[in-house]
Amino acid sequence: MDQQPELSADVPRAWDRPVFSVPILAFLSLIGGQLPSFSTAANLYSIGLGGALAWVGLSPRFPRRAVPQRLTAGAGWWLVPVLIFGVFEAATFLLGSRDDFPTFSKLADPLLEGSLVRSAAYFAWLWAFWGLVRR
Amino acid sequence: MRLVAITGFLTALVLFAVVEWAARRENSRIPTFGDVCAYVMRYEVGPVPVGRIAVIGFWWWMGWHFFAR
Repeated sequence: MDQQPELSADVPRAWDRPVFSVPILAFLSLIGGQLPSFSTAANLYSIGLGGALAWVGLSPRFPRRAVPQRLTAGAGWWLVPVLIFGVFEAATFLLGSRDDFPTFSKLADPLLEGSLVRSAAYFAWLWAFWGLVRR
Repeated sequence: MRLVAITGFLTALVLFAVVEWAARRENSRIPTFGDVCAYVMRYEVGPVPVGRIAVIGFWWWMGWHFFAR
C-alpha cells in the first residue's frame, strides 16, 4: 500500500490556531526585538528560531494545508511588485548601496534600531515563517 | 537618488498590499501570495523538495540578514 508522504489538513489543530500561535510568536518577537544587530545573541536567536521553523517546515510529520494544484492566470499580477522590488534592489546593490542610493536593508536598518519596531518586524517575519511552514 | 530608491521600494510594497487585497476579494482570479508560495514550494527534483528548501531557506536568511547582520 502506498504511504502518504505528507499530511495535509484544512482544519487547523488546536496549537495551529491564532489564539495559541499569536501569543507565542509575540513573546518570541519581544525577545528578538531586544537583541541588537551584530550581537552573538541576535545571531544565535535568529539562526536557532529560523532553524526550528525550517525543521518544522521540512519535516513531513507536521500537517500542511491544502496546496493549489495549479495557478490561475491572475498569478502574473504578482510579477509587478516582485519585478519593481527586484529591479530597485539589484540596482542599488550593484551600485554599492551608497547612502544616496541605498538597498532596502540599508534603508530598514535605522528603523530596526528601535526595539518596538524591531519587535514588530520580528513578529511579521515569524508570522510569515509560521504561515510558510504550514503550506 | 535616495528619494528615487525610497519611492521605488515603497511603490513595490504598496503594490504587494494592493495585489494581496485584490486576491482576497470574493471570486478573485488572482491567487493570494500564500498560494503562490505554496505552489512554488511544491516543486521537487526527484525526492528532494527543492522549492520548499529554497523558499524556507530564503525566508530564514531574510530574518538573519535583517535582525542579526
